[in-house]
Amino acid sequence: MTQSYYEASARERLAAVLDPSSFQEILPPSARVTSPHLRQLDTPAAFDDGIIVGEGRLDGQPVLAAAQEGGFMGGAVGEVHGAKLVGLLERALDTRPTAVLLLVESGGVRLHEANAGLIAVSEVMRAVLAVRGAGIPVIVLDGGQFGCFGGMGIVARLCDTVIISEEGRLGLSGPEVIETTCGVEEFDSRDRALVWRTVGGKHRTLLGEAGELVADATAAFRAAAIRALALTPDLSLEALEREHAALGQRIERFGDCHDAVDIWRALGIEAPERLPLLEAADFNTITAGKRA
Amino acid sequence: MRDWNTQARNREARLARAAHLTQGKTVEAKDAAALLSAVLEPGDRVCLEGNNQKQADFLAKVLAGLDPARVHDLHMVQSVLALPEHLDVFDRGVASRLDFSFSGPQGARLAKLVAEGRINIGAIHTYLELFGRYFVDLTPRVSLVCAQAADRAGNLYTGPNTEDTPTIVEATAFKRGIVIAQVNQIVDSLPRVDIPADWVDFVIQSPKPHYIEPLFTRDPAQISEIQVLMAMMAIKGIYAEYEVNRLNHGIGFDTAAIELLLPTYAESLGLKGRICRHWALNPHPALIPAIEAGFVESVHSFGSELGMEKYIEARPDVFFTGPDGSMRSNRAMSQAAGHYACDMFIGSTLQIDLGGNSSTATLGRIAGFGGAPNMGSDARGRRHASPAWLKAGREAREGRGLMPRGQKLVVQMVETFREHMQPAFVERLDAWELAESAGMDLPPVMIYGEDVSHILTEEGIANLLLCRTDEEREQAIRGVAGYTPVGLARDKRMVENLRDRGIIRRPEDLGIDKSLATRDLLAARSVKDLVRASGGLYDPPKRFRNW
Repeated sequence: MTQSYYEASARERLAAVLDPSSFQEILPPSARVTSPHLRQLDTPAAFDDGIIVGEGRLDGQPVLAAAQEGGFMGGAVGEVHGAKLVGLLERALDTRPTAVLLLVESGGVRLHEANAGLIAVSEVMRAVLAVRGAGIPVIVLDGGQFGCFGGMGIVARLCDTVIISEEGRLGLSGPEVIETTCGVEEFDSRDRALVWRTVGGKHRTLLGEAGELVADATAAFRAAAIRALALTPDLSLEALEREHAALGQRIERFGDCHDAVDIWRALGIEAPERLPLLEAADFNTITAGKRA
Repeated sequence: MRDWNTQARNREARLARAAHLTQGKTVEAKDAAALLSAVLEPGDRVCLEGNNQKQADFLAKVLAGLDPARVHDLHMVQSVLALPEHLDVFDRGVASRLDFSFSGPQGARLAKLVAEGRINIGAIHTYLELFGRYFVDLTPRVSLVCAQAADRAGNLYTGPNTEDTPTIVEATAFKRGIVIAQVNQIVDSLPRVDIPADWVDFVIQSPKPHYIEPLFTRDPAQISEIQVLMAMMAIKGIYAEYEVNRLNHGIGFDTAAIELLLPTYAESLGLKGRICRHWALNPHPALIPAIEAGFVESVHSFGSELGMEKYIEARPDVFFTGPDGSMRSNRAMSQAAGHYACDMFIGSTLQIDLGGNSSTATLGRIAGFGGAPNMGSDARGRRHASPAWLKAGREAREGRGLMPRGQKLVVQMVETFREHMQPAFVERLDAWELAESAGMDLPPVMIYGEDVSHILTEEGIANLLLCRTDEEREQAIRGVAGYTPVGLARDKRMVENLRDRGIIRRPEDLGIDKSLATRDLLAARSVKDLVRASGGLYDPPKRFRNW
């Protein structure tokens, strides 16, 4: 039976994505580096503060990797959590691995330590760009139960590529936040089909925000991560301007669309309403060459 | 001379008052309130069809909106209180008396209205009891029912959710009552006729299709590994040993786990064709993998389930469907089947006491139990034998010199701690306090201890059939109650003795390796897996999707 990436814990994901037994954790739970803020609030802490960082090998290549644990506060970023991630990224500048893998699963900044968390996320962003600037690709894997939202949604889009499953979600404000601030008429967060159609992996792939859609299996994420090691991103000013122009056109092309399905139709996909039911392989075949 | 025909003449008078509102049997939706005001009389016994799935929601709204100066003191007789309008009729003074079976989500508000003296509850029934009383002393004078479609003559097509409609209409129409149906559409010809036109007086096309609640859909993603372990114990320790072939499953994740382990774990034990062949069951989506694997020969249903329509239509050998392909369900028939024709009921509960009595009643809620008390009780009128029934009866009577007879397997399946670390095992059920506060004649017990054959927890299976004294029974229950206060108070020596005698069996006694109890054993781990297993025929409601 295939191992579900969605259901696996952060540690199980790392073990399955990297080469067997290759992972060496930095600041493991035994180091007991926990959040000072949660302690003050008398809130349960995690010995790894909800993130695992370390180094290992992928297809024999040296990589650094981090995995957020959705089971602890939805993978939210606190001071220690963020510092571990920044430390890992800065280490990449010294050790120059083949790539850095971010197995994201996070609702964004941890509200209990909001200011420290916000600062941490901005430091993560700066560190990601520094690593990319040094020519080391940063690869995001997004397929966990809590998706990737808030500050981590921005971080994910700063990286070289996002590998996502249909179950994976990517966005800035999460569905409940949109409903709370804009009303249920704007976005019904309990309409799960609508939620996944809008922030789920398939739509994010069609919009070009995710690089590859994979099945919900740890083996599929590993295979896609190995393929991503060969990425040679174009970081020239021209490439950046092209991307900005493309993003600017998005509102012109799809501004009248009321639903993701309208966008899929506008992309020239026949019978777009069947897309949610397609397995990853069929989806990739049918939508090839038709992404925004 | 005595007039023997008062009911019919009263009926004619009511129809005459409404004559100006109809063309044939059809009444416009805008005239619905005028129609109800015309035919209803104060103090009428009224059945407002409330089901588990479909709801006569339009008629409920109209009834609740009537002028209480004109229509008041109605006596509502209906199986399920599902919608807020079902209680609005009492809040607004249109109705005052209630006989029912199940109030589910309205349980808290019902308790409040009872406490305020706004509702006078006759009794809380099981479904079969209430249906029985429709034909004895609770016959509706006016029934407000719900169907998918009607033709111009007034024939009704109920669609897959036939549910209570045939029972309600039969009781009303043949005692010269008045039957008013809300339908989603009026058509020239129906796919099939479920209720003949001459049993129906008025048909109203409702402005919106009636509401249907997907009550029996359980997302496999939420099944825990503890539940997988308990399902393994159920299959190996009960289903296999008693060769249970005819059964009903309660609603819940515990039993959904069993359904999802049939094609994997039960198959690996060589049980296909030996257990679980015939079911009285709503079409649970979680049963799809077992049907596809060839475990299930037949399923008769109380009502249907949203999203299962195409799958059911494509598996006519398994389900009861009409010539049009859609399901015909029937709550009364399926309840009778569950009571008399099934060898086992297995379901969850909230609280079990030391006598094995179980209840889902909690303080501040009057919820009723629906079908569980019928399914979960020994059918003492049963006479036909089956291996499971005979074995259970033998175990309960061995060495006691009693007349041999069989017994139904009634299994209560609970984790020792429920949500919020509430112990499932208690010295005294909350039902006692609820009975006191709500002025009930008896504590509301869902399943009486004398009917329970097995209690299954993650700690093991207690076989109550084999207990010979009240003390043994108590210790057998304490012995599977784990770390709850009730469990910790067990007599260790006696519990070990019960274990030696096979009255308590732990997973290891059953040869079950706990480390194998992972979600990987589930034949489907998500709703999408169920769609895959159905070959794309199952179309789950939006709220169960993550795609």
